[in-house]
Amino acid sequence: MNVNEIVLDILNGITGTDFSKDMDADIFMSGLVDSMATVELLLELQDKFGIDVPISEFNREDWKSANKIIQKVESLQ
Amino acid sequence: MNLIKQIDQFATENPAAIVYNYLGETNTYGELQQYSNALAARIQQLDLQPESPIIVYGGQTFEMLVAFMASVKTGHAYIPVDKHSPNERIKLITEIAQPELMIEVDGNTPAIENLKVIHSDEFQAIKHETSSFEFDDNQMVTGDQTFYIIFTSGTTGNPKGVQISHDNLKSFTDWMLSDFGLQAQPKVLAQTPYSFDLSVMDLYPTLLLGGELQVLPREQTEDFKSLFQCLSELTVEVWVSTPSFIEMALLDRNFNQQVHPELTTFMFCGEELTHDVASKLHERFPDAHIFNTYGPTEATVAVTSIEITPSILAMYDRLPIGYFKNDTLGWIELASDNDNTGEIVLSGPSISKGYINNPAKTEQVFKHDQTATYHTGDLGQRKNDGLILYAGRKDFQIKMHGYRIELEEVNHYLNLNENISRAVAVPVTDKNGKVVSLLAYVQLDLTSYLYHDFEVDGLNLKLTDELKFELAKKMMSYMIPQKFVYLDTLPITMNGKIDIKALMREAK
Repeated sequence: MNVNEIVLDILNGITGTDFSKDMDADIFMSGLVDSMATVELLLELQDKFGIDVPISEFNREDWKSANKIIQKVESLQ
Repeated sequence: MNLIKQIDQFATENPAAIVYNYLGETNTYGELQQYSNALAARIQQLDLQPESPIIVYGGQTFEMLVAFMASVKTGHAYIPVDKHSPNERIKLITEIAQPELMIEVDGNTPAIENLKVIHSDEFQAIKHETSSFEFDDNQMVTGDQTFYIIFTSGTTGNPKGVQISHDNLKSFTDWMLSDFGLQAQPKVLAQTPYSFDLSVMDLYPTLLLGGELQVLPREQTEDFKSLFQCLSELTVEVWVSTPSFIEMALLDRNFNQQVHPELTTFMFCGEELTHDVASKLHERFPDAHIFNTYGPTEATVAVTSIEITPSILAMYDRLPIGYFKNDTLGWIELASDNDNTGEIVLSGPSISKGYINNPAKTEQVFKHDQTATYHTGDLGQRKNDGLILYAGRKDFQIKMHGYRIELEEVNHYLNLNENISRAVAVPVTDKNGKVVSLLAYVQLDLTSYLYHDFEVDGLNLKLTDELKFELAKKMMSYMIPQKFVYLDTLPITMNGKIDIKALMREAK
């Protein structure tokens, strides 16, 4: 699986929602991803990609859609 | 000795000791004594009915403690209500508990008929009055009198007010002070809002040991950046939180024993502590003592405990909730057709007298003979040596991130909304069986204004957003489901009810 598929898979696992047709949809809007789900999301990303998310500089804006997460993951790899 | 008197005595002897540290802003035991006496004197002037409860409304500031102490010093139980509560809920609590006074520590509340209010600006002025209040042994809350009332989720949308007496609380704090290796004058994390009884686990043991509460207010914990900034500045020795909250803290790699050598005790309650989280914590803090505890609000915070050692981690995949505290008798009420799983029943001095002004609900789950008995609705198993394992719920109550939620209450509020024709909420669990979120299956009302925004096969996030905004006017935010799924019709059982079990299977 490529980065796209893995990210979509993780998002689907956490939210039960398929974002493949709405890669720019705001995952935080409507509280679908709340703070606890954000914790899960970051843990999964660290786990699956072996990246280290600089958590003390975490900014929701940079992680708010499938596309943004993919960009972030690629920049951290 | 009476708990209030004990705290007051420590304050008299150690007025300069720090009791509260709110992001660097500190207050002393002397201030707690002086301010609460001044407020107590004012309460006495109001001529309230003896023992009528007082609502204390606010956030997590030092003044909350002042208001709690002033209430119990004058013989009144306090009802902590979080400032994030919707107005509807405050009105409901007032209708049920029939208080005569509300102390508004922080924020603005709706005007309610026949309710006296000490507003926050007035409160600030009273604090500094030199009071003639004389500590009166005969007036403070004592024995079986109610000390605090915590409101919890009720199935019909009416919350239930659990009344905890002075002696209930004393049974709890005696245990806290004897069984967890706490030292004199500890520095303890205070992260939980006061409307949630886990806060009692940090508040009263700390006050009775002359310690310092270091506060991590909700505003700081909602944003990762400020959360980790605050975490790095904490110097607590004792950590009290839900397992969910420590999971968040563990995201930061600097949260470890090298950076926080003073942090040697962790105490968890409010939801299941998973093996994952406990072992990760043990890796980060190999020398710390990690305690898992369990208990319903009705039995005063917690009644079982166990230290999670490496050998316990090696022995159990699902961690045990521990052994009953010494003064409490607990047993498993087995159903005839069941192997060894049954309802956990509790009897002892920390069992509540029941729900305020709600004899029907009280009778359903409590028995008050020589000692009080409470049927928890929790399922468990008992090992030969008395160790208790948790096995879920017998009804539709869930624990999520430490919050206790009746799914029927969630459904009640969903169905009240004019945009919704029918709806039902189901829990979503992770691989450990822990509830991680709520999912609402919604059949929209075809004539509602929100229905126009509905997109077939779309994510409908904007629609959900608007719906949640509406719901937040009446429901506590933690009860609002994270995910909404829109269906043309909900599946129905043979006898015409929504088929929750079918939907729960789908949610998995």
